[in-house]
Amino acid sequence: MRAVWTFALMTMRSLLRRRTIWGIVLVIILALLGIGQVPSFDVSGQSRFIVEFGLFGLEMGALLLAIGLASNIYPRDRENRTIQPLLAVPLSRVRYLLGRFLGAAIVSGAAMLVGCLGLMLVLTLNGFEIPTSLLPATLLLLVEGWFLLAVVFFFSFWTSPPLNAPLTVMIFIVSQMSVREFVGLLPGASGLMRTLRLLLPHMDVFHIKDPIAHGIDVPLVYFLLAALYGIAYSVFMLSVALAVFRERDLR
Amino acid sequence: MRRPFVLLAVALLAAGCGGKADYDIAEVAPDEHLSGEHGNHHQGHDHGGDDVERDISGAVENRHHHEPGVRNHGTQWFFNQPWAAPFIWDKIVRDSVILLVLAAAVLLFSRLTGRRWQR
Repeated sequence: MRAVWTFALMTMRSLLRRRTIWGIVLVIILALLGIGQVPSFDVSGQSRFIVEFGLFGLEMGALLLAIGLASNIYPRDRENRTIQPLLAVPLSRVRYLLGRFLGAAIVSGAAMLVGCLGLMLVLTLNGFEIPTSLLPATLLLLVEGWFLLAVVFFFSFWTSPPLNAPLTVMIFIVSQMSVREFVGLLPGASGLMRTLRLLLPHMDVFHIKDPIAHGIDVPLVYFLLAALYGIAYSVFMLSVALAVFRERDLR
Repeated sequence: MRRPFVLLAVALLAAGCGGKADYDIAEVAPDEHLSGEHGNHHQGHDHGGDDVERDISGAVENRHHHEPGVRNHGTQWFFNQPWAAPFIWDKIVRDSVILLVLAAAVLLFSRLTGRRWQR
């Protein structure tokens, strides 16, 4: 575990040295500031608008972070041949994947926290109260982001980076669909589509912006269940990614 | 690389053969959740918009009031979300446990059938 943690910190430092992360954080903050500047025209409930669009922006940020942070890690290690000495002595493939994932997950978490603080600042500057569930809602979006991160790692082991991004976005979009909508894509094979849908999470489990925006309390137990659900999906995707990675010949 | 996918396909097939493993909230919701507190207030009350002129002229007579925060014909989408549907929370736990078991199976399978170059 110590080796994984050390490698995760190395990964974190190398990711923070890249411009990608700073660019994405800047885009998230600019988007939040833009949402705060939209005039209310004296329509009541502007804070709802800010909260809903702000959390939507954070969800998009989680997607961008997953793709921006992780899609290049393994291909770059392989291209630079840094993966061979790493795997030759100090690290097993499991540790390599866990260290890389953990490092990217920490950076993603820090960026989402900055986004959440930005949203709180925008609400405060506009004279609105900060909903008590805003931070837990952001944490659920972060768990969704970790799942997407695991998906990006999975694709990075057997596709090229330019193909990784559209595939991840496709998974993201399809996971937003209800079972009925997903089956509607190919109504002739409803059984097959229903079975395929099992692979994808119900992303609406992570979305609680509507009750927050309308001032409805969400029970604490729901946050825990939704977090468990997201973590279970991330573990599952990582296990499949590792199975693929174990089969790869790095020579 | 094919082996994990074969295992996944078998697991999915087993789950799929088990019946309707995946679901939408509206599919599994009990009647009391779908009907809601104000569900019976609209019997004989047409919300269709075919006759626009009639709708406009009758708007004042047909005006009705819903208490905030209650399911009605306009808020079904709101209450058909997982946070508002406690009857699916046990399914969330069920799915999580299945995924963790499946992850363990994939890891074990890939380790047992792994190639020589791995450590």
